[in-house]
Amino acid sequence: MEIAGQTVQLRSSAASHRRQALVVAGLSACALVSLATTVGIIAMLAIEASGFFLSEEIEFWRFLTDRQWTLGQTRGELSYGILPLLSGTFRITAIAMLIALPMGLVCAVYLAEYAPRRVRAILKPALEILAGIPTVVLGFFAVKFITPHLLVPLGDFKAFNAMSAGIAVGILCLPLVTSLAEDALQAVPRALREGAYGLGSTRLETTIRVVLPAGLSGIIAAFLLAIARAVGETMVVALAAGSTPTLTLDPRGPSQTMTGYIVETFKSESVVPGTVGYFSIYAVAAVLFVLTFGITLIGQVIRRRFREEYQ
Amino acid sequence: MVCHPVPDTSTEYQIIQAMSQLKSPFPVIAVLTSLILAGCDATTNPNPSTTGGGKGSSGAANLEGSISIEGSSTVEPISLKAKEMFNDQYPAVNISVSGQGTGNGFTALARKECDISDASRSIKASELETCRAAGVQFIELPVAWDGLTVVVNKENNFVKQLTVEQLAKIFRKDMAVKTWKEVDPAWPAEKITIYAPGVASGTHDYFMEVVGKDVGMRAGEDGQITMSEDDKLLVTGVRQEKYAIGFFGYSYFEANRKELKAVPIVNPDGEAVTPGLESIESGKYAPFSRPLFIYINLESYQRAEIREFVDFYLNNISEIVTESRYVPLPAEIYQRGRDHLDKELTGTHFLDEKGDHRSGTLIETYTEDNLSKK
Amino acid sequence: MNHEDVGELLSRRRSEARRKRLSEVFAQVCLVVCSLVIVILITLLATVVVEGGGWLDWNFLTGVHHEEQPEASGIRQALFGSLVVSVICGLVALPVGIGTAIFLEEFRPRHRALRGFHGLVQLNITNLAGVPSIVYGILGLTAFVYMFSFLPRIEANKPPTAEFGAQYWYQAKTLGGEWVNFPAADRFQTIYRINRPVTATTVTGEQIKLNVLPRSASSPSDPEVRKRTVFEGASASIFRRNRWWHIHLPFSKSVLSAGLTLALVILPIIIIASQEAIRAVPGSLREAAFGMGATRWQVVRGTVLPSAIPGIMTGAILAMSRAVGEAAPVLAVMGGVLGTTTGLSGLMDKSPVLPVTIYRWALDENEGFEHLSAAAIIVLLVFLLVMNSAAIYIRNRYEKRQVRV
Repeated sequence: MEIAGQTVQLRSSAASHRRQALVVAGLSACALVSLATTVGIIAMLAIEASGFFLSEEIEFWRFLTDRQWTLGQTRGELSYGILPLLSGTFRITAIAMLIALPMGLVCAVYLAEYAPRRVRAILKPALEILAGIPTVVLGFFAVKFITPHLLVPLGDFKAFNAMSAGIAVGILCLPLVTSLAEDALQAVPRALREGAYGLGSTRLETTIRVVLPAGLSGIIAAFLLAIARAVGETMVVALAAGSTPTLTLDPRGPSQTMTGYIVETFKSESVVPGTVGYFSIYAVAAVLFVLTFGITLIGQVIRRRFREEYQ
Repeated sequence: MVCHPVPDTSTEYQIIQAMSQLKSPFPVIAVLTSLILAGCDATTNPNPSTTGGGKGSSGAANLEGSISIEGSSTVEPISLKAKEMFNDQYPAVNISVSGQGTGNGFTALARKECDISDASRSIKASELETCRAAGVQFIELPVAWDGLTVVVNKENNFVKQLTVEQLAKIFRKDMAVKTWKEVDPAWPAEKITIYAPGVASGTHDYFMEVVGKDVGMRAGEDGQITMSEDDKLLVTGVRQEKYAIGFFGYSYFEANRKELKAVPIVNPDGEAVTPGLESIESGKYAPFSRPLFIYINLESYQRAEIREFVDFYLNNISEIVTESRYVPLPAEIYQRGRDHLDKELTGTHFLDEKGDHRSGTLIETYTEDNLSKK
Repeated sequence: MNHEDVGELLSRRRSEARRKRLSEVFAQVCLVVCSLVIVILITLLATVVVEGGGWLDWNFLTGVHHEEQPEASGIRQALFGSLVVSVICGLVALPVGIGTAIFLEEFRPRHRALRGFHGLVQLNITNLAGVPSIVYGILGLTAFVYMFSFLPRIEANKPPTAEFGAQYWYQAKTLGGEWVNFPAADRFQTIYRINRPVTATTVTGEQIKLNVLPRSASSPSDPEVRKRTVFEGASASIFRRNRWWHIHLPFSKSVLSAGLTLALVILPIIIIASQEAIRAVPGSLREAAFGMGATRWQVVRGTVLPSAIPGIMTGAILAMSRAVGEAAPVLAVMGGVLGTTTGLSGLMDKSPVLPVTIYRWALDENEGFEHLSAAAIIVLLVFLLVMNSAAIYIRNRYEKRQVRV
């Protein structure tokens, strides 16, 4: 028997039903893997991070309020305030978003509302290629091009600095923002646009007054997902931002992010299970996970709600 | 087994070998890669010895097994040289060398994760205690002299020499000056950027021992200091920033001589001395000359491949040390080391009964009598 | 029409013209911003080619890493390592990912509690896609490398508690200085004192009877005899020969751990892509098959999967290219390895991979390695380009076939 070129053999019997039960069991086992991953991550972070907070040398409030992070830097009295690492992450994410959000939105608007077919045929693949470039390559670009050729001529930028890493992370997030925001704009029903044109609006006015507000929740979701991506970005930061945790807003100097601290510790392979240094990775990773998971979750919820609006 | 870059075997032979063994994870791929790569490899790879394959490549018995070396990045070049030369002779011994810092090396030794631990300072009382608790015994072997080298950027033309006091101003936590002007009023009021080895590094400890024992190094909160166990990152940092200063083992300076400037250090006699092979050997380059060590796990030393390796190491020590740009120790010290190995004398020479660090030169300290008693 | 009306009309026209111009200007601004994307892309590629193009030669592809010798260094081990890690990753992630997608799309349960499970898995997957890859790296380190410290660590001078695929041998030096070896009966006995003659293999692969001389005897002078003689109580030490499928628990820092970790990283991507491919299969096909009395699994296997395979393949290839380019999880699981003495010979070995090599070389103080890093990037990008082209090719063929159907 043939359906659309595919041969379907029919053996609907007790045997095949038993077989199906087996298959379903196998498939649910597959589905369990992803669930187990999440459970594994959460359990691991909770257990090991609590090992950090419960150890005698560590007081929880100092983790939140100390203005220094010197784990892996000095001996003797330890400072382990997460603030410098958070500030590093914040600085780089902020710079990245200053680049990726406006540029991404403009690209998305252009692609959704203006782009002639020919421009689209170039721009779309270019964005896809950019999205496919491994992050370690962008890190290399930051160290070998952005810092020496773009930033150093401009001012007192250090060899490793937050600005360079921020720009590279921005480039990294750009395709993501563009494609998600474009999806959001495309999903706005044609009728809304046509109505606006009918009332004599120009394209710009239609875009700003009708399309953007209608697609707003989708765009916000895109932004949130991009932020989560930037917060979790690792290799660019490890290459370009240096390895000094600093609590400042100055983008010209080195800065260590949460991800940067984790990678630095792995690179030096000084992760001996049971030590404060080892537990500190999990404490930092727990904060990182909560932050990114939270932002992603909100983004997904908004995105889903937005999708439902127009379906 | 990817392919065997042994110069005298033909490509076909390797392919047949690969096919007959099917030891590789992906036989087809292995054969293909052999096909593509092996032919050229034998002739073009300038240093085939270090890739030496042949792990159990035939039934024949040559020395086999594996050796794991961890610890100081300062000693790493010496270990790598020894590995390279040893593998020339015994290609089937798998030697892994990693330089993640002296402290990490001792941790690995105590956790029985390595056979030999490299160190750019002698073992500390606390580390000795961990080893004892874990039941790890070791043989302590000095292998070379190093001159810890303070470097500045090539374009830095105002720093002509530095005293230990001036270094203290720059590096100590309680002084931590911001600009060069604060070090010497004649120098520019430019911010100092600092690249220093991290705390897991023996170089860090040795430097702070001299500069400010109990105070510790400044931390990174002001963004002026970058610390890393990776010496390469330090070299890169100082090379790229005009007002940077840093320090590391002499070998790393020697390897990057063209791009960095070593600062002469004023020794206790009041003489400013540039680090160099002669000034380190003569002891003039003080107080930053120091011995480098390897620590061998006694249990591992019972294994044939380790014994053979350490034997080879000591027999070729001058060449190994010189080629890795360090200074060989007096022959007397090496002879004592050999005695220690023969008698399997374990423990450290540098800590007294109370766990305090012994003072005195290496030749005075490294004697059988000074071994810590169990 | 009075003057005021005309004026108003004129001004309205003028403002309309201005509004139109504004819209045009905006379009131009957009175009400029968008062309920035192209500029960035070209600059990036140009930087890499300028820095590394000249270093890309046969030696580079076939050499291995040498400290401080960029001219002699190459990426053979890294290439092979990347290949092996990706294959392991694909072998695990593809079946599990596709299985999950089929489960989610084709086996929607009617039971309420089960439906809750379904929704949970679905929400979970979209969220997993947003978890930073370094967190997966930490998971890999905990779950695969140390296995939650449930089992004893791998130590020197002690065989792992659980392993298979390994053979233990003793090796000893004869009086002639040659090495002989013979099988070890007890892998926990690291040192064996030779007191009785044993059958041993020599350097040349010959089987010999190893003579044991009493300690009091004088050393023989004939070199042929010395070659096969030891004194009583001579020590032989243990070593291990691994088959490529040698596995021990915990997995420790190995290509297997790295591959499994990367599988977790790309799992959500594969699931989402496969779900979309399955969803795109027209419902009419399913209904037709059901109409003929096929079971759900028969429908899936016979009808849905064949139609969805091209789409799944496309997604899978894109996910695999993500895995090939990932550095952070591998760094967490295997450390920053740049090369190994004997190369990759089994699942339990460490190996360098391309992205980690790029990372380490880019930070090397020796400028030559910066160029090598760029050259390695070119190789990586070419590799990814080939994979992506394959994906596009499949997608196009698939689309054509759809049209024909």
